[in-house]
Amino acid sequence: MKKLLLLPLCATMLFVSCNKDDDNDSGDNGSAIATPTLYTFERDGVSTVNFGGQTTRILMAGETTDAFKAFETATEASIKAMFAHVEGAVDFSEDDLNSSDKSIESKVAASSDFFAANTTEAAIIKGEFAGYIEGQINEVFPNENVLAAAGVAGQIADGTSTRYVNAQGLEYNQMFAKSLLGALMVDQILNNYLSTAVLDAESNRVNNDNDVVEEGKSYTSMEHKWDEAYGYIYGTSENPENPNLTIGEDDKFLNEYTGRVNDDTDFSTIAADIFEAFKLGRAAIVAKNYDVRDEQAEIIRENISKVIAVRGIYYLQQAKLKIENGEVTGSFHALSEAYGFIYSLRFTRKPGTNDAYFSKEEVDGLLSQLTGDGENGLWDLEADTIESISETIAAEFDFTVAQAASVE
Amino acid sequence: MKKTKVWGFIILLSLIVFACSTSDDEGGTSEETSDNFNRSAMLINWADNIIIPAYTAFNADVAVMVQASSVFTETPSEANLQNLRSAWKDAYVSFQSVSMFEIGKAEELNFRNRLNVYPTDVTSIEENVSNNTYNFSLPSNIAIQGFPAIDYLINGLAGTDAEIVAFYNSESTATGYNGYLNELTNTVLELSTTVLNDWEGSYRSIFVAGTSSSATGSVDKLVNDFLFYYEKSLRAGKIGIPAGVFSVDPLPEKVEALYSKEIGKELLLAAITASQNFFNGKSFTSASEGESLKSYLDFLNTIKNGDDLSTLINNQFDISKTKAAELGNDLALQVTTDNSKMTETYDELQRNVILLKVDMLQALSINVDFVDADGD
Repeated sequence: MKKLLLLPLCATMLFVSCNKDDDNDSGDNGSAIATPTLYTFERDGVSTVNFGGQTTRILMAGETTDAFKAFETATEASIKAMFAHVEGAVDFSEDDLNSSDKSIESKVAASSDFFAANTTEAAIIKGEFAGYIEGQINEVFPNENVLAAAGVAGQIADGTSTRYVNAQGLEYNQMFAKSLLGALMVDQILNNYLSTAVLDAESNRVNNDNDVVEEGKSYTSMEHKWDEAYGYIYGTSENPENPNLTIGEDDKFLNEYTGRVNDDTDFSTIAADIFEAFKLGRAAIVAKNYDVRDEQAEIIRENISKVIAVRGIYYLQQAKLKIENGEVTGSFHALSEAYGFIYSLRFTRKPGTNDAYFSKEEVDGLLSQLTGDGENGLWDLEADTIESISETIAAEFDFTVAQAASVE
Repeated sequence: MKKTKVWGFIILLSLIVFACSTSDDEGGTSEETSDNFNRSAMLINWADNIIIPAYTAFNADVAVMVQASSVFTETPSEANLQNLRSAWKDAYVSFQSVSMFEIGKAEELNFRNRLNVYPTDVTSIEENVSNNTYNFSLPSNIAIQGFPAIDYLINGLAGTDAEIVAFYNSESTATGYNGYLNELTNTVLELSTTVLNDWEGSYRSIFVAGTSSSATGSVDKLVNDFLFYYEKSLRAGKIGIPAGVFSVDPLPEKVEALYSKEIGKELLLAAITASQNFFNGKSFTSASEGESLKSYLDFLNTIKNGDDLSTLINNQFDISKTKAAELGNDLALQVTTDNSKMTETYDELQRNVILLKVDMLQALSINVDFVDADGD
């Protein structure tokens, strides 16, 4: 009887989402857990949801990115201090952030699955972020009032905006923000907090099975780990219980770009797919059904990885149009964003595997193609190279370059 | 039991393929779509009968403004100030006929933004006047130059003409203000001349040769530039932003020609008329019409809800002008006294965005090449 009901149920799901990979036909387990309408969970009338640390880091990341443009006040030391905040240091505009013991840098390339035994690469990645800061202060700041040219850092016009680029035409602030989107938010969600190694660490399963909460808290450790994943995408949402009401408007990182990709009709269910999976996975933890939990984690991994890839290709294609129209410098802003999204591919996660869609070596290869058409980086970049990078990325996913490039 | 499942999935899969395949043919493909319309004749009409004559007229008006500015700064008097004001107004009105053609050299120079970013940055202007260091070619300096900056210098320094003239006469300020004013007007002339020379030189033939129906063809590019202008500069810039359409409260300080208090409406009407004339392919110097977006739509026999699309677009331009004509000359005052007239004007301008950007582009198989920036 139940099985007969399952098919029409599956059919409607597929119709709604148009996504061949959404077929989470989890037998009788799946139908036992209802997906709640809101991300609201309580124990004895008290909320068990908490992701304050993620909210803090998103806000820190925002202020640190803004500091790249603070020509009058920022120094290499001040931005590095923001990046590696120490409790009590007055690095930020908000007291809550200054008094926090959290920092961005400690969570960059720091996921359990990818970097626990890969500290060498993690150190290289952290060094690259430091390099963005150093480049901005030492190359771009001195040329604040210089017109950029091939091989010369300075200003370029972008509509009514002014962009500040290095000698290669790249904006360090965009590289920093968009690379952080992958190295912090995406890595922490996909490869840390949704990882069975983290969710099931120590006695988490036994404790969750028996409703043993953390000391002085209302939640079990496992519930909290899932919430921390949730917080890296919805942590600054207007309505954290129903974040898709304002998806795309709540930060400059993963929330924003999930919203932007969702605006494209080719991906118009992606925000809903991610949110539904977060809710069902959390409900599964409450129901102590870890198979359903892990199925939802895979759905989230696939879709958040897709956000990064789609947006990266989108910017590449925007830039390609500009270059074809002879607006070389007009392409730099989009390419600087694309650089960060490509960088972030290294932190994506192929469902069902322990691998990113692209390894660090592959990502480095793509980035050297992006800056390798001539000695002056983006000044020399050709449309064909952009197309080839776009195709290489799309080939790993189930969408086309054209779908990612469109704005409708 | 198992068999049922497998069959179920096969049926499901075919449904998915059926349901999803329709959305797969979108995207930025630059395929040639060919119809037999004479695109070359349209490009020639645009270049020879509209764009180049409009730039020629604009350049002449700017030259008059430069002359008036140099007379005024040599002999600062109320009469010379009024003379400069009138020349500034003529050039500013003239500018409305070229502002939409941000292609070629104009695009390269960021022409519209260097001539007409408002509100102008008064704080930076005052700093530059006093310490005499500024570089107008820097992108970060677009808000301290062009017509809005001149507006501030000739209309906004004080409440009366006598007080304004005093800034240009008194020993402590004369050098700074006179120098800055001349630098402003000369820069407008320099940019305008560069663009005109390019059209009269090599660019015209490049432009008219770009007949391909692709993203890089001249038709697609200029139509996109025209729509971007219509949507952002005309609809949003002149009306929507000050009327508060994009913000919590109205922002009267964001109107065009803020300090003059007299010509905002005239600039708006000139811009709508110039946009309509471009759509109709109307010659800049006479009433005759050549090949145009209108004749292209008519050639394709484009109908919407039983009417010719070109007629609907022209009607909408006419309605917009009628609404705009009800506004007061001082648009900031209009916002504060009766903003509904501003929002009604905006609504009429917006209706044409739909007709032009959705219906017309679809008919002409042109893809939009601009999107709203992320704002970061």
